[in-house]
Amino acid sequence: MLAKLGDWLDERFAWRQVWEAIFLRKIPHVNWLYTLGSATLFVAMVQGITGILLTLYYVPSPDQAYDSVMYITTQLPAGWFIRGLHHWGASAMVVLTSLHLLRVFFYGAYKYPREATWITGVVLFLVVIGFGFTGYLLPWDQRAYWATTVGTRIIGVAPGAGEFILKVARGGDNLSAVTLARFFGTHVWVLPATLIGLLLVHLYLVIRIGISAVPNRKEE
Amino acid sequence: MSNPENEKDVSRRDFMKLTIAGISGAIGAAIGLPAIAYIVGPALQKETETWIRLGSVNKVEINTPTLFKTTIETQTGWVNSQEELSAYVLTENGQDFIVMSNVCTHLGCRVRWIPNEESFFCPCHNAVFAKDGAVVDGPPPRPLDQYESKVEDGVLYIKRG
Repeated sequence: MLAKLGDWLDERFAWRQVWEAIFLRKIPHVNWLYTLGSATLFVAMVQGITGILLTLYYVPSPDQAYDSVMYITTQLPAGWFIRGLHHWGASAMVVLTSLHLLRVFFYGAYKYPREATWITGVVLFLVVIGFGFTGYLLPWDQRAYWATTVGTRIIGVAPGAGEFILKVARGGDNLSAVTLARFFGTHVWVLPATLIGLLLVHLYLVIRIGISAVPNRKEE
Repeated sequence: MSNPENEKDVSRRDFMKLTIAGISGAIGAAIGLPAIAYIVGPALQKETETWIRLGSVNKVEINTPTLFKTTIETQTGWVNSQEELSAYVLTENGQDFIVMSNVCTHLGCRVRWIPNEESFFCPCHNAVFAKDGAVVDGPPPRPLDQYESKVEDGVLYIKRG
């Protein structure tokens, strides 16, 4: 029955071909460091799921943000768990993405023909940093408020347009309801959309070109 | 070489498949089950029962429904709000009290006691209730709801929740 359904779907979607291309492709003999990309992808999916769950209760407004976060953490069943996963997953994202990037760098895997994979990867790294930065403000507690005050202030030091970009980032002179709303919008709409787009290109290239072998110590 | 009778004769590929499926399932459950609890949580929370102070029993007129108004603090989710609660109190002997909700049992509009008519009227669909809350006319499916009440030191309390 299940096999029949699989055949029926395969005739229409050719999903077995897709499956083969993604999961049964030939790879060189590699080591555990090559799992860092997959690990990053896995944590990104966990972040996506837990993030969506958090938006079911979270309210991005100065008078309710903190209370709604406290409600999630202390009142809801497993709320502490969902929020905890998202909180620690954020750190894991930065760590794993960095390690993945360093692996590619030190193995020279960014070279021809994988430059585009590398470039999308570097932008994806910036997106992850952006997630971390915008997400940090959302609990709207003292730490979040002052960390973002300091963090955005750094933009202001840029010569010339710094002050203006700072104002754009904050949506005004100081951190306010406008800042919280735009950080939230960036965190849940702008960055996820960018991430998914770049990630698809990144993964397509990984599958299309294949992964690089471990560089050889000896000259051949 | 391969012996189908032998239990150990699982191919490397099948072993990996099973292991991956098992671990994936465990991870899925570890996130999925808490997620379900997290989503349905607020629906399972029981309202806490509290006694609300309505006012002095002396204010209740004999044989005439008397309106009592009080503000109550309610918490929904993370938002605290004040809500006005109104109830009609009826007594025939000054000893036993009936406390009726002023919410029409039809569609939830507020009913009003009209002294000249000796009835409650609902403005939405012209429902009419008798002094004790029984349906006299109109679409309501049941009499006006009653609160559980008690009198302590001459003060009337109703139970909410």
